[in-house]
Amino acid sequence: MSPEPYDRDLTLPPPRLSVGAAGWVRANLFGTWYDGVLTLVCAAALALALWFGLVWVFRDADWGVVATLGGNFAIGQYNTEAACPGKNCFWRPQVVLLLVTMFLGMSWGLTKSGIARTVAILVASAAAAFAFLPYSMEKMGMDVRVLLLANAPALGAGWAIARHTSMSVRWFIILGVAAFLLSLGLLRGLPGMQPVPTIYWGGLMLNLLLAVGGIAASLPIGVALALGRRSRLPVVKVMCVTFIEVFRGVPLITLLFMSQVLVPLAFPEDFPLNSVARAGIIITLFSAAYMAENVRGGLQALDPGQMEAARALGLAAWQTTLLISLPQALRNVIPAIAGQFIGLFKDTSLVYIIGMLDVVEIGRAFILGNPEYLENARELFVFLALVFWIFTYGMSYVSRRIEYHLGVGKR
Amino acid sequence: MAGTDAAEDIIVCRHVHKWFGEFHALKGVTTSVRRGEKVVILGPSGSGKSTFIRSINRLEEHQKGDIIVDGVRLTNDVRDIDAIRREVGMVFQSFNLFPHLTVIDNITLAPIKVRKWPRAQAEEAARALLERVGIPEQAEKYPSELSGGQQQRVAIARALAMQPEIMLFDEPTSALDPEMIKEVLDVMRELATSGMTMLIVTHEVGFAREVADRVLMFDEGVIIEDAPPDDFFNNPQHERAKAFLSQILA
Ligand SMILES: Nc1ncnc2c1ncn2[C@@H]1O[C@H](COP(=O)(O)OP(=O)(O)O)[C@@H](O)[C@H]1O
Ligand SMILES: [Mg+2]
Repeated sequence: MSPEPYDRDLTLPPPRLSVGAAGWVRANLFGTWYDGVLTLVCAAALALALWFGLVWVFRDADWGVVATLGGNFAIGQYNTEAACPGKNCFWRPQVVLLLVTMFLGMSWGLTKSGIARTVAILVASAAAAFAFLPYSMEKMGMDVRVLLLANAPALGAGWAIARHTSMSVRWFIILGVAAFLLSLGLLRGLPGMQPVPTIYWGGLMLNLLLAVGGIAASLPIGVALALGRRSRLPVVKVMCVTFIEVFRGVPLITLLFMSQVLVPLAFPEDFPLNSVARAGIIITLFSAAYMAENVRGGLQALDPGQMEAARALGLAAWQTTLLISLPQALRNVIPAIAGQFIGLFKDTSLVYIIGMLDVVEIGRAFILGNPEYLENARELFVFLALVFWIFTYGMSYVSRRIEYHLGVGKR
Repeated sequence: MAGTDAAEDIIVCRHVHKWFGEFHALKGVTTSVRRGEKVVILGPSGSGKSTFIRSINRLEEHQKGDIIVDGVRLTNDVRDIDAIRREVGMVFQSFNLFPHLTVIDNITLAPIKVRKWPRAQAEEAARALLERVGIPEQAEKYPSELSGGQQQRVAIARALAMQPEIMLFDEPTSALDPEMIKEVLDVMRELATSGMTMLIVTHEVGFAREVADRVLMFDEGVIIEDAPPDDFFNNPQHERAKAFLSQILA
């Protein structure tokens, strides 16, 4: 008798209850009797919390305080009579927003990536949607609404510029830095314009300015510190280590406070270092110290064979660092870098310690100054938490997409 | 600087010593390699084979003696070292391809950045090299998407892209599955017939017999045998060489 031929149909489907939704629930939620009890208790607690949460949000909460503060969340006291006497300065931050949207459009056109597109379109459409807020025309004029709507064409313009001018990454970065400086100048008041002292800058605009500037500057500084810390020159090494350990060893809030009380001691009285610049520098250096350690971790994890291969090909040491070590090291520490940038963004609200009215402090100051709203502090802070969460979730999303795009962990 | 001497010794080593801390890894290595010569280096693990060939492009720094490559004496002069590295290609046991670059970018990187070739020229040369090592269709992939044998062939192409005078191979097939060893050795055979000067650390005896002009055997940091392959494999002089051969031929 010949052996039975191999039967293809012997390939059986998996047992019904080990796959699919039912299988997952069974395996993960009701694996044992105490798993089952835990699941039921947690589900009940969740359902209750959700129920009371929704009831509060939609029935009991009075969101009027959020509407009352309105534009103050965005720009703080920037457009008050004290900041900009006799003029309307609201258009300046709005133009800055247009520049931002345009840049997002450019990065979309430049990278042709889905991440940049998603972010650009979301930001531009959110900005444009604000034009339709149900405020009266007195509170929110036509000019404001038109400038908000202009974010849509700004996005298109940025995209088209990047697409039709074979813009290089180098030019994109140069333009970005230039636009950032232009934004600062515009907010401060370009020559011939009404100057707005930085002490009046505030709201989300302040948080974002500090975060964007801090992130953009702390990355290269951090990389330089990380490389310096690995340098064979003792002087460079000691300087970098000292810098890193000092800035990592002191709480940011202390550094900010010290900057306020010490800088006036060390510099002449009219030294042009306003609070925004001071806060920006401190936040940047603080973040750079952490960045340096993240990057150093990435560098240390590299296979030395990579550097040997590069040197064996005749690449100079600096080329090896720039083209081989850093790209791999940075790619491998994207999660850590993203976490740090999220932390930096949240930390920008600490500038209240030097008397700046960031988005949180605007709310707190408002409640303190208007006791009739004391009842509504809850609504206010829930709203602020949501605002922070939207931005930090966005950063987290972008970092995950970049990781995926670069194939981290796969190649 | 190219060989002016009629003898055409492209590599000359005189009494080369190398210590790792207290450990004496090379104990006075003296040998020379003629232009176009194929030298296979054998020896037990830890005998200093890698240290020796890595000294030739100064991935390791020797502390005593002279190494002269293509007329240039290896010192700490960075310009000399970079010049030598341009002329000496190296292939590693673990490939060491750049994982963040595609195959074509791995190959064109050094020609563009070091030789300052225009990208188009570098890419054309790279595609020709991929053709030569038998994987023209893999140009746009990332190294992790290739098999070990393919990766090692890309590594060979990458080294060749700099148009080196000398190629160093440090156990190029030791990390490969048996069925991939042949494809890499075939590429090396073809390279040997093209007249390239090659120093090859390998345990592939068949390949050594076929391709080598000379076999060097290392043991504890010194060369104990230096002979044509037939003499070496059939009639080794040194006791340690006999013992080693009986092991690897077993
Ligand atoms: N970077 C290093 N530091 C300390 N010892 C080393 C180093 N590299 C190699 N060695 C030692 O030098 C000896 C020779 O190593 P190697 O040249 O790699 O041997 P082979 O390639 O013949 O197996 C070994 O004993 C090894 O442990
Ligand atoms: Mg070795």
